[in-house]
Amino acid sequence: MSAISPESFLKRSAVYRNLTGARFKEMAGSAIVAANNNGSDKATRSGLLDLSTLPRVGYRGGNAASFLETVDLPVPSKPNQFLQASGGELVLRLSPQEFWVLSALRDEGENIEALRRRQLPTSDCYSLYCQDSHAWLVMTGEHLPQTLAKVCGVDLSDEAFPVGAIAQTSVARINVIVVHHEVNNIPCFSLLCDSAAAEYLWDCLLDAMGEFGGEAVGIECLVQNLSGKN
Amino acid sequence: MSEHARLESPMGLMIDRNTQVSFSFDGKKYQGFRGDSIASALAANGRWLLSRSFKYHRPRGPLTMAGQDANTLVQLDKEANVLADRALVENNIKVNGQNYNGSLENDRDAVLGHFSRFMPVGFYYRSFFKPLPLASLFSKRSDSWPMWEPTIRKKAGLGVLDLDFQPQYYDKAYLFHDVVVVGSGPAGLSAALKAAEGGASVLLVEEQPLLGGALSYHRFDAEGIQADQLRAQLLSKVECNSNIKVLKNATCNGWFADNYLPIIQGKRMYKVRARECIVASGSFEQHVVFRNNDLPGIMMSSSATRLMKHYAVKPGQRALVLTGNDDGYLAALDLHDQGVEVAAIVDMRASVESEVLASAVKGRGIEILTGHTVYEAIPTKGNKHVRAVEVRAIAARGIVELDGRTIDCDLVCMSAGYMPVYQLLCQAGGQLSYNDQAAEFSLSKLPQHLHVAGSVNGVHGLSDVMADGERAALQALEALGLVQDVEVPKINCDRRVNFEWPIFSHPKGKDFVDFDEDLQLKDIVNATRLGYRDVQLVKRFSTVGMGPSQGRHSALPTARLVAKATNRSVTETGVTTARPPFSPEKLAHVAGRIFDPYRRTTMHHRHNALGAKMMPAGNWQRPAFYGSAQDRDRCMQAESTHVRNKVGVIDVSTLGGIELRGSDAAEFMNRIYTFAFLKQPVGKTRYAVLTNEHGVVIDDGVACRISDDHFYVTATTGGVERVYREMLKWNAQWRLDVDIANVTSAFSAVNLAGPHSRKVLEKLTADVDLSSEAFPYLAYREGHIANIPARLLRVGFVGELGYEIHVPSRYGEALWDALFQAGEEFDIRPFGVETQRLLRLEKGHIIVSQDTDGMSHPGELSLEWAVNRKKPFFVGRRSVDIVMAQPQTRKLVGFTLPKDAIKPEEGHLVLKGKDISGNVTSCEYSPTVDAIIGLAYVGEDQCQTGSRFPIRVDNGFQVEAEVVDLPFFDPNNDRQTL
Repeated sequence: MSAISPESFLKRSAVYRNLTGARFKEMAGSAIVAANNNGSDKATRSGLLDLSTLPRVGYRGGNAASFLETVDLPVPSKPNQFLQASGGELVLRLSPQEFWVLSALRDEGENIEALRRRQLPTSDCYSLYCQDSHAWLVMTGEHLPQTLAKVCGVDLSDEAFPVGAIAQTSVARINVIVVHHEVNNIPCFSLLCDSAAAEYLWDCLLDAMGEFGGEAVGIECLVQNLSGKN
Repeated sequence: MSEHARLESPMGLMIDRNTQVSFSFDGKKYQGFRGDSIASALAANGRWLLSRSFKYHRPRGPLTMAGQDANTLVQLDKEANVLADRALVENNIKVNGQNYNGSLENDRDAVLGHFSRFMPVGFYYRSFFKPLPLASLFSKRSDSWPMWEPTIRKKAGLGVLDLDFQPQYYDKAYLFHDVVVVGSGPAGLSAALKAAEGGASVLLVEEQPLLGGALSYHRFDAEGIQADQLRAQLLSKVECNSNIKVLKNATCNGWFADNYLPIIQGKRMYKVRARECIVASGSFEQHVVFRNNDLPGIMMSSSATRLMKHYAVKPGQRALVLTGNDDGYLAALDLHDQGVEVAAIVDMRASVESEVLASAVKGRGIEILTGHTVYEAIPTKGNKHVRAVEVRAIAARGIVELDGRTIDCDLVCMSAGYMPVYQLLCQAGGQLSYNDQAAEFSLSKLPQHLHVAGSVNGVHGLSDVMADGERAALQALEALGLVQDVEVPKINCDRRVNFEWPIFSHPKGKDFVDFDEDLQLKDIVNATRLGYRDVQLVKRFSTVGMGPSQGRHSALPTARLVAKATNRSVTETGVTTARPPFSPEKLAHVAGRIFDPYRRTTMHHRHNALGAKMMPAGNWQRPAFYGSAQDRDRCMQAESTHVRNKVGVIDVSTLGGIELRGSDAAEFMNRIYTFAFLKQPVGKTRYAVLTNEHGVVIDDGVACRISDDHFYVTATTGGVERVYREMLKWNAQWRLDVDIANVTSAFSAVNLAGPHSRKVLEKLTADVDLSSEAFPYLAYREGHIANIPARLLRVGFVGELGYEIHVPSRYGEALWDALFQAGEEFDIRPFGVETQRLLRLEKGHIIVSQDTDGMSHPGELSLEWAVNRKKPFFVGRRSVDIVMAQPQTRKLVGFTLPKDAIKPEEGHLVLKGKDISGNVTSCEYSPTVDAIIGLAYVGEDQCQTGSRFPIRVDNGFQVEAEVVDLPFFDPNNDRQTL
């Protein structure tokens, strides 16, 4: 088994350097951390995962919602909510006319790539650049609200911010979209932030998680038996 | 420790008798238990002298044992002014006294106490700031303060700062609760439980390490069983209730609008948002004013009971209880039950009010003296401890009989009454009013969603206090909508706990009102006699209440004294304003963990590996040049020469990028920017200048037309947010069919520039024809570079054959790697922002915000060519027309100086006679031109080519610059259009 290095791929995450010592695997044409010398129990307690290179797309405009319906994706009824598609993708509604679709973890983003190839409506539906404009970090575990409370002024407790909710807010003084979801019953906050500030936020989050024993984890902590080369 | 054995359990709620802790105080080793405060551990060792007072250096010992006074301020290795009755003792810590001359035991400055009559309040102001005789003896100046200041400052101040202190980790966190209850005494506990049982999420905040408040140290009944039983019951319920989160050792340090509460616990400040707030902060026990009332061994009754109940420390061997309420009797019972001989209860009231308590006390053989007070405490040698008191009968309000009797004792417990812990409530706008009948303050006019319960609300009986807590919780639940139509009970309390005048002056003074500032009774009265009738003025003149305890014990006697001295009621006098913070907080708490966001391009680590000297550009980090800071000029010149002769690459990912898509995209561009864009051909770029409504140039960039309804526009690094905001703002009015997206972070970009740049690129692309015919200057193409999808712009910012390559940012680092690999044979090198500035300066290209200011219009910048005056509208059009029609006053021109001249810096002034006509905006030595070149604003009559104008440089020198035509280099642009 040869070790996979992020630098052997054209597509690279902004934070791959922060994961030296981790074991990477190839997913969606890039390297993603498979494991970081810790087990799934770490993800259950407090973990931080970088999914920036996994596919995602965004659409905006008056015809964006109907476009999603035509491709059989569920459309949340209100902004700041998401729905999970049958393929596992998360369909986020960020405003009345803006939607992002985040890849499922299992399929290496194949559905998203297929979505990218679909013809958009001829008017009032524009693809967005969220694949590159934003990094995708995922915090996991049972201390999510307490950890975020150290860097964010919004109440993200389960009562105020249940699974399915989205908060577009400031985290450690930068704009972040926080998505509350679960993967295999592990509570997760997906954080979508300016990709240029990903290293900054990564450090801030790890610092905040330190109190709860938080560490960077690999995707295998969340999902077992993934496809992709190790 | 064996000499001063601890009391038996259940005394000592806070200590762990199984874990001993060793520490030193003033160089001597002591032992305590884990859970001990420094003060309790010392008291357990028979050590009562903890500090010296601020002004007269009088010996001081524990007063409250609750961190409410300045008597216990001590010095730790790394920290001054630590409250010894709050700070936990830790293994091997070194504790020292502070503010003494000699030793804590033998402080030479204690002699100052003998001169107190010569040092009344205002002494410093009046003696050293005006030419009074004392000052003029030593100084001819009218203000002798500068001469005295070093000496006085040496004597003043508390503790020593550790200048080698290393910052520690402090942080902040938010908390959100339906109800926050401040204080966990009986009122707070019952309020928290009631609110939690009603379905609210409750945060219970307790300043001390254990819950229970007075239940943990105060006796409520003659038998002495009620408090412990009730506390155990309540704590058990709190522990079982998942709706209650408890913060111990946590201080709510302020109240801000909408129940925004800063709560400090350890090294963290919680910023709490509470929908409802219940303040059950209790009350501060008050002292009695009599001569020598500050001696070690004289303390609040609650302090003595805290020592016993919390720390299992016997506060003395023979006690005298001086009281104005029933609580003194209860304290006496506690003392007696723990083996302290109680010499007498001196009750200031005319008669006993509780026969039950009196009977219990008498049953233990304790003498009761009603209508009496302590007139003077008699110290041991050196005022180190109380050894006896002189007790006299009270003849009238504040007046005692001429004779009294002396009672030996080493402990005096004072119970003069209580002052509500009103600080948070007053911060919230609550109003204090004095009830002459009860001789205590009460609070009113609280804002909505703020409730008050317990003794801070003037409710004192235990059952009433509990009921009051539940009442406050019901109100909170009702406001939260968790209960409806509930009848909120009214709690009345007629129990009197304050003795109305516990103030007994002594002709020899030392009858302290304020222990922090060594203020005696006469100091307060004299302040009023000097005309400071308002209590706020008395405070500022005398400094009463300005010490660390912030008037917790001095506010009430001061209000009473000022009221009496000015023939007003205490309500009219009032007390001084309470402002946050409630207790001293460290700057580290306020600062917390500082978040200073930064942005990095995808190539950032490549720059570091190449030795880049980074510079900030907004919140980005950009390479200024590659090399050490000391070699700036050499590095820049080498890099620029390399670009001119070979090929260089610069990371321009920080450039702003904005996507405009939609059928009205061209129309939108045409309205936003000064140039014409309706007919811009697809596949072409065009310079885009943005003016604001005042006609001032605020940004520029390059607009690429990707398709008929798709533009990609760059903006300056620092200006893109503003440009994007302006675009959104304008289209909110215009309602054009265009989608506007800020894609700055979505693209990484480089400028590959130099004569060999085409050759480098040719090695990396198969689908873009790079020939000058197929891809001419100012053209836009799309294709793949090293298999990476890319947008390519033929640009000429640095004046060489060049390509801006924009790729999705996930590919940015791979693009950089590919360019360097392909460019190796052409000796490709990176260049930085400083070098780019030099290169563009040689071409006479402006940088918006460096070469422009808040007044620069296109005419001043010679940008008329970039303004389309034929189209009907663009943002700022009318203003541009107006300002350009008026006589011009200044112009941005290029200038040169000989290379050996003093190089002007950006911002240096351009002169015209004695007046300032402009300033330098850019200036560098150019190796290409072999001269100093620059851009500067000059007067309209100084702008002709060949004109000379003076620039004032550093140190008062002037240099004479010559105006030259721009650009400085390659005037026909042959190199960039190759």
